[in-house]
Amino acid sequence: MRSISLFFRSVTKSLILVSFLAVAAVSSASAQDVAAGGAIFKQKCTACHAVGKVVVGPDLKGVTERREEAWLLKWIKNAPALIASGDPVAKEVEAFSPAAMSAFPELSDDDVKNILAYVKAEETKPAADPKAAGGASAEGGSGEISNFMIFGLIAVIIIAFIVIVVLNRVIRTLERVMLQKQGVLVEDDEVVPGDRLAGLKRLTKNKKFILFVVLLLVIFLGSAGWMGMWETGVHTGYQPVQPIKFSHQLHAGVNKIDCQYCHTGAFTSKNASIPSLNVCMNCHNYVTASDKYDGKTSPEIQKIYHALDYNETTKQYGNNTKPVEWIRIHNLPDLAYFNHSQHVSVAGIECQKCHGPIQTMEEVYQYSPLTMKWCVNCHKETEVNHKDNPYYDRLIAAHDKLKKGEKVTAAVLGGLECSKCHY
Amino acid sequence: MESNKKYWKGLEELQNTKDFVEKNKNEFAESLPMEEVLNEAGLSTVTPRRDFLKALGFGLGAVTLAACQKTPVHKSIPYLVKPEEIVPGIPNYYTSTFNGHSILVKTREGRPIKIEGNPNCILSKGALDAKGQASVLDLYDVSKLKGPVLNDADTSWEKIDQFVKTELSKTGGKSIRIVSSTVNSPSTKAVIADFIAKYPSAKHVQVDAVSYTGIIKANEASFGKAVLPRYRFDNADVIVSFGADFLGSWISPIEFNTQYASKRNAAALKGGKMSRHIQFETGMSLTGTNADARIPLKPSEEGIALLNLYAALGGAVSGGKKLPNQKAETGVMLAAKELAAAKGRSLVVSGSNDIATQTVVNAINSLLGNYGTTVDLDNPSYQYTGNDADFVTLVSEMNSGSVGAVFFLNSNPAYEYADPKAFTDALAKVALRVSFADRKDETASLCQVIAPNHHYLESWGDSNPVEGYYTIAQPTINPVYNTRNAEQGLLIWSDNAVQDYYQYIQNNWSKAGLTQGATGWKDLLQKGSVTMTAKGGGAYSSAGNVAAAVSAIVAESNALAKGGDNAVELHIYESTGIGNGKLANNPWLQELPDAVSKVTWDNYAAIGPKYAEKLGIGENDMVTVKTDKYEVTLPVLIQPGQASGTVSIAVGYGRTMAGKAAVEVGKNAYPFLRLVNGTLQGNAAATISKAGGIYELAQTQTHHSIEGRNIVRETTLKDYLKDPNHGTGHGHVNHVDLWNEYEMPGHNWVMAIDLNACTGCGACIVACNAENNIPVVGRDEVRKRREMHWLRIDRYYTVNDNGSKVTKEDEMEDMETMDNVSVIHQPMLCQHCDHAPCETVCPVLATVHSSEGLNQMAYNRCIGTRYCANNCPYKVRRFNWFNYWNDSRFDNYMNNEFTQLVLNPDVSTRSRGVMEKCSMCVQRIQAGKLQAKLDKRTLKDGDIKVACQQTCPTNAIIFGDGNDPNSEVAKALKSERTYYVLEEINTKPGVGYQTKVRNTAEV
Repeated sequence: MRSISLFFRSVTKSLILVSFLAVAAVSSASAQDVAAGGAIFKQKCTACHAVGKVVVGPDLKGVTERREEAWLLKWIKNAPALIASGDPVAKEVEAFSPAAMSAFPELSDDDVKNILAYVKAEETKPAADPKAAGGASAEGGSGEISNFMIFGLIAVIIIAFIVIVVLNRVIRTLERVMLQKQGVLVEDDEVVPGDRLAGLKRLTKNKKFILFVVLLLVIFLGSAGWMGMWETGVHTGYQPVQPIKFSHQLHAGVNKIDCQYCHTGAFTSKNASIPSLNVCMNCHNYVTASDKYDGKTSPEIQKIYHALDYNETTKQYGNNTKPVEWIRIHNLPDLAYFNHSQHVSVAGIECQKCHGPIQTMEEVYQYSPLTMKWCVNCHKETEVNHKDNPYYDRLIAAHDKLKKGEKVTAAVLGGLECSKCHY
Repeated sequence: MESNKKYWKGLEELQNTKDFVEKNKNEFAESLPMEEVLNEAGLSTVTPRRDFLKALGFGLGAVTLAACQKTPVHKSIPYLVKPEEIVPGIPNYYTSTFNGHSILVKTREGRPIKIEGNPNCILSKGALDAKGQASVLDLYDVSKLKGPVLNDADTSWEKIDQFVKTELSKTGGKSIRIVSSTVNSPSTKAVIADFIAKYPSAKHVQVDAVSYTGIIKANEASFGKAVLPRYRFDNADVIVSFGADFLGSWISPIEFNTQYASKRNAAALKGGKMSRHIQFETGMSLTGTNADARIPLKPSEEGIALLNLYAALGGAVSGGKKLPNQKAETGVMLAAKELAAAKGRSLVVSGSNDIATQTVVNAINSLLGNYGTTVDLDNPSYQYTGNDADFVTLVSEMNSGSVGAVFFLNSNPAYEYADPKAFTDALAKVALRVSFADRKDETASLCQVIAPNHHYLESWGDSNPVEGYYTIAQPTINPVYNTRNAEQGLLIWSDNAVQDYYQYIQNNWSKAGLTQGATGWKDLLQKGSVTMTAKGGGAYSSAGNVAAAVSAIVAESNALAKGGDNAVELHIYESTGIGNGKLANNPWLQELPDAVSKVTWDNYAAIGPKYAEKLGIGENDMVTVKTDKYEVTLPVLIQPGQASGTVSIAVGYGRTMAGKAAVEVGKNAYPFLRLVNGTLQGNAAATISKAGGIYELAQTQTHHSIEGRNIVRETTLKDYLKDPNHGTGHGHVNHVDLWNEYEMPGHNWVMAIDLNACTGCGACIVACNAENNIPVVGRDEVRKRREMHWLRIDRYYTVNDNGSKVTKEDEMEDMETMDNVSVIHQPMLCQHCDHAPCETVCPVLATVHSSEGLNQMAYNRCIGTRYCANNCPYKVRRFNWFNYWNDSRFDNYMNNEFTQLVLNPDVSTRSRGVMEKCSMCVQRIQAGKLQAKLDKRTLKDGDIKVACQQTCPTNAIIFGDGNDPNSEVAKALKSERTYYVLEEINTKPGVGYQTKVRNTAEV
């Protein structure tokens, strides 16, 4: 079933692609390179423009009809100069938004033409959209079905198995009842199992064997209990399902966004802080991942819009807001005080030291045990980052006198004392 | 020289009563059921094997089940759109105004959690009193109204506005009155003026619960200026006070504490000078405890003493009389001599609200040439501008039915007026009754409309406490409930062109030219206040009619001392913590021990020990105090230093409708006030009689015995000038050590407390409560000695018998009166000993020493053996007997989810069964260090201020790094006066005290 749907999906996809390419090839009379234009468009234009939608700048749909190509060439390459020259059309366009169009002197005329070709090609794309959307929904549906099918099958097999077992037992009992009624079977039942379990019975009377078993059990349960108790309250690997499928792998790994861009508090405060949604909107204002969702905004990004009651056309936040309730992964008990800025800014510790390879995590899990032993061990090993920080001068001077040659760890500076964390 | 003076914490200790001796044998207030368990029955009980196994099995099962709790899922909800100025985890500070003092409000994630004085404030200089510190808790008071109320039903603001406007239009020829306590806010005044412009029949009546009308009227008569002068205790070398508790409650205590200490602190002593303070008073006030000489006087003698002082200074008094009390007479003569020697550098103040008495005070100050130096009439104070007579007129107007509408703004006459019955009867005849109270209080409950005002931390506002000084209040949180600025209401009801009060204030400030000097409104908000150039305080000479005053005073004195069976002179006063009762529903203030008596959660009838003996009344006996108009039954507190033949009762208690904390706390004493010559007087001729029954006051004072050790040390100015080391007990300490020295390579956090600067006001205690999430335990637990305050102020009595020292109990027994006691206040907190006795006895190492000199307490490691508390020689460790933040029996503030918002998120709340104590605000230390590290700089002295130090109006507490030789604290500890408490047991405390110096004079 699954493979069939996959097959269908790939077929529709390739069909769409082929038809799209054909249309594009036909429509681009000037035979400009749509693909090259697309690449530039994505690199330089998507921040403010889209085809068929107003982003920061105006909707580019039909722009080649609205404006002359010569004017467009001038405008795209150096809009501020065109406005300054007093061009009436430029003035009119400038009035569209307070955000000014940047100059792109690095673009050649061909590049601009390629972009325009791409825009033109994009205009015709919506015609193929319904099919694409259908394909997407079919895909989603097939995924659900296949999962349901697998679990359903397993359930059916289990139920069938149970039915068979129960029926078997019922049949056996009925047979026995019939036999008993007929007076055929009386002692058989007792004798047969007795014979079978005779060896076991003898074993249960063997004291050495029992001692051995008990000892084994005690050792096994004891060690399991001991290990279990050490792990009590330790949630390494805790990976709850979050309300938004935010991927650190994509943001921190692929896009290499600096941790501090979102977790602003890490440098200055005790809390690293989960970014407020307006920080997300700095990018997701225009980054909608629509290319992966056939022109529509990604459903995960839509969750941000929904939470903020953000209107994509007017670009305004509404009043019907619903805060995002993230599940907290790193739960340090209240009795311990932890300050991010001390570790990140002062000590200069990488986020990964405690949070693990966060840049590869599709979904975040707790990497470190967050136990006191773990804290203490690190404080015993980590050298204090005292270079260029006059705060430490006096301490270091004192310790240099005392312990020549030894390394100055956090523990040496009192990092193991109770009131460093508990107050 | 070792002092052999006898100090005692309370009379029980002095007299070594049987009860006290018995109690002190035990560690705990109540006896432990040890005998019951260990007696024969307990030991011989048969515990069958099966029962044992059952119990064991059940216990194991229950524990297993309890442990099977699923790990809770914690949500983390970020802002949708984060305000730019907020970084979670980092506090923001905003300027605002409390009671005319510019303050800084510390907010975390948008909620105010701590109030601190604004260093720019010309009155407080960055300090704050107990009330200011506690006021943040009122923001989270659950007793407040959640929205407007119309005829006892919840309603909307639109309906309120509609109703009030309609009713106002119906008043016709009848008059409208706005009743308020003192309003010194320029904008509120302007709003009221606009309201009056719209409704010309309206009038503003200001009345204060504790009134200063007497001074204002006397100044009007003497100088033609109806104002409260600004007193300058910092210019006074000789201060003589007649019943004015200027350090505790009189007019502007924070300011006066600051000024007073500047003449008596380490810097002043270094210059070889110290002011001299003589106090004549009835009850033992906080100011009286600080006086160099204190002479108990009956209320009837106060005016006479002033007259005699005036006469002794050369004033013309005809018809005066001698004081019956010879000692007082001597005191007056002595005061006269000293005042005459310090003309222009002296100050005489009186706490009386009597115009005649204040006229004499004016004459004396005028005679001494104090106007322009210690009394400033040109830059007056507007902290109290109420007029008693105006309110009396209003009551008769209301009674005659000529008042059509009345508004109550921050005023609660049904509770605080001298004749509540007359008031409530008259109020019933007014058609429209509107209260702006934030809760359904005694007056608001008689009103049709309650339009709850914002808490001051929620609202815009301003104030003008003294001439030329304006402060601004800005909201630090969105209104918690559906409340509205009272001024906004008045603007709407008077159809003002500007209906938004914030806009109105801005307009008003620019109109009045107050924004000058500031580069803009934002700049103004950042500073919090505007100070105009002060006018030169000119000299004035009194033109008051002393002759008329003399006859009035003598007549009044005779009336008070009329005698008869059980006759006693009643003295009504305002306490330091609860004050006039407006903040009575604040559990922090209720649990703050009274500055002198150390009583919490109650008021009482204070009488002197010898007088009580004469009456056959003992401590905690219930007595009925009765005047011709009112009576109350209260427990007795035996107060050393109380004038014989007098009884003192505090106002501010006995609130019936203020909320949960205030209910059933003491009795109302306001109805005792008498209207005499147009002002309300806090004294009366009364009778006292035993009412039967005993009521145990919750006192923190008698909990421990000092076992005759030299804990407080004092000297006299004369001895100090001869030998600065005098009285410190130096030279008796043997520094042989069993233990190794602690290395403190980085910081060494130490503290210096100057007993000579400390006035015992108690602001530090409340500041500590707020900073460190200290639970309020309630009256019953205080009785069981279970209060949780990390910082307490110990008050020690000692006796001065004409300069000679009294050292033995029997000598004191023989004394005729117990009047001549003197007092020392000593803030006592964890001493952070380098050789801490608590550390060595902890079986689980929950309390250990840090490399920075702190005695650390790890709560989650503590198993509650209480060995440490037992072994602490300073008795500063507190045990959590209950989960105060999650136990309905302690519904004080921590148990409520909403009130918990006031907790400091940087300090953990402690669980049941663990010990706690002063941490030296380690969270502030860590934060200060971190800031230095982030800024890549060394820590500067003064970067870290602990909560008690920050709020201290007299800078008695100095905290800092002892390893830094240039730090303030290192310098303070180098003082010759420094001694360490119980130095001889070699605990090496980190807190050093400086001896108290008394400026005693030879009689």
